Amino acid sequence: MNASTSNDRFCEELTALLPRLRRFARGLARDAADADDLCQQTVERALKSRQSWQDGTRLDAWVYRIMRNQWIDEIRARTRRAQTFTREEEGTNVGRPGDQDAENLVEIGNVGRALARLPDEQREAVMLVLVEGFAYKEAAEIIGVPQGTLTSRLGRGREALLRELGEIA
Amino acid sequence: MSVSEEELAAYADGELTGPDAERIGAAIAADPALAVRVDAEKRLRALLRGHLDPVLTETMPESLTLTIAAAAAEDTEAGMSDAQSPEPALSEPASPQPARILDFTAARARRQQQARAAARPRFVLPKWWGTGAAIAASLALGLFFGMRTQDTGVRVTSEGALVATGMLSRGLDERLASANESGKMRILTSFRLGDGGYCRVYDAGATSGIACKDQDNWILERTATSDKAQSGEYRQAGSAQQDLMAAAQAMAAGEPLDEAQEQAARAAGWRK
Repeated sequence: MNASTSNDRFCEELTALLPRLRRFARGLARDAADADDLCQQTVERALKSRQSWQDGTRLDAWVYRIMRNQWIDEIRARTRRAQTFTREEEGTNVGRPGDQDAENLVEIGNVGRALARLPDEQREAVMLVLVEGFAYKEAAEIIGVPQGTLTSRLGRGREALLRELGEIA
Repeated sequence: MSVSEEELAAYADGELTGPDAERIGAAIAADPALAVRVDAEKRLRALLRGHLDPVLTETMPESLTLTIAAAAAEDTEAGMSDAQSPEPALSEPASPQPARILDFTAARARRQQQARAAARPRFVLPKWWGTGAAIAASLALGLFFGMRTQDTGVRVTSEGALVATGMLSRGLDERLASANESGKMRILTSFRLGDGGYCRVYDAGATSGIACKDQDNWILERTATSDKAQSGEYRQAGSAQQDLMAAAQAMAAGEPLDEAQEQAARAAGWRK
């Protein structure tokens, strides 16, 4: 197969992957603007490194790994930048009163907040397996940890979510 | 028979096969308490998907698709000899890499700087643009005198904005700067504003200008006319267009769209 066919396919598959990448980014970053920045940087990084992707292997796992590493870099940088910032003010939002769908909004808000409150390593495990549908082995490879570590993080994340969302879950 | 938390989770996650799956399945069938827990796992999954799946159908930021389209076009032209800093392959052991520091604010500033640097080669008139056409044109920035609307396809909104109609509107929708199409109406360049909106510099013979896409309409931000009666000042051929290109460069948040970006933007209806 010649190089340009393979690159065309790379670009096509990457484009097809964009909606899912945005979903994963939204789960990781919690904030829509940050998520889109994360997505943009992931796409740029993937394009720059596209020679190292092996045709015939799963592109999604490869790009998810880039995104996940990019996000880890970002939160490390943020932690250094704002050591004093605490997440305490999150979680004080309540549904807007008077809204027709207030009940529904509160519910969506609860899910988002419960997910946001998870430690990053549990949240990425939950995102990869429960939302993105990766097998344990694939998720462990994306994160770069042994499968046992992945399942333990997933278990703790799931337990916390079930506890928090117990009434609606 | 006892079923561990891990086994139950693995079952719910579809990780178990064969005898394991059968064993846990049978245990769940026999124990309503287990079935309740499995149901909770399933509902959790549905809640998470319900929260995040709407992202799948949100409008895609064009910067993403355009970035890929630009890379695809680049490939065809340049081949693949210049890739840098390859990402480690998935199969490689995950060595603790030194943290690559990349905060978003700095990255965004760097992108904007790169875009500005790339724009420095400037907005230039296309090579095909008539060099010999001796039109004495005067530039009326932001103003609109004496343009005959039936020729140009322009209407004025109640707010006083100029909106392209008819041939002008169609030309702005359809024509490409890269195509060098013949006809009364030509596009000199296309670019984006800081908010992502698209604008195009056009030359329709008697008039030229810069039009930017609103929700539905092309709003004329700058117009220039060749009607020398508008001004005592005579200009060199093409100076109105050159002024428009300079104005475009000042408005633009980056370099002019290349052929692939222009085509992608046209396919998306010039919506940001």
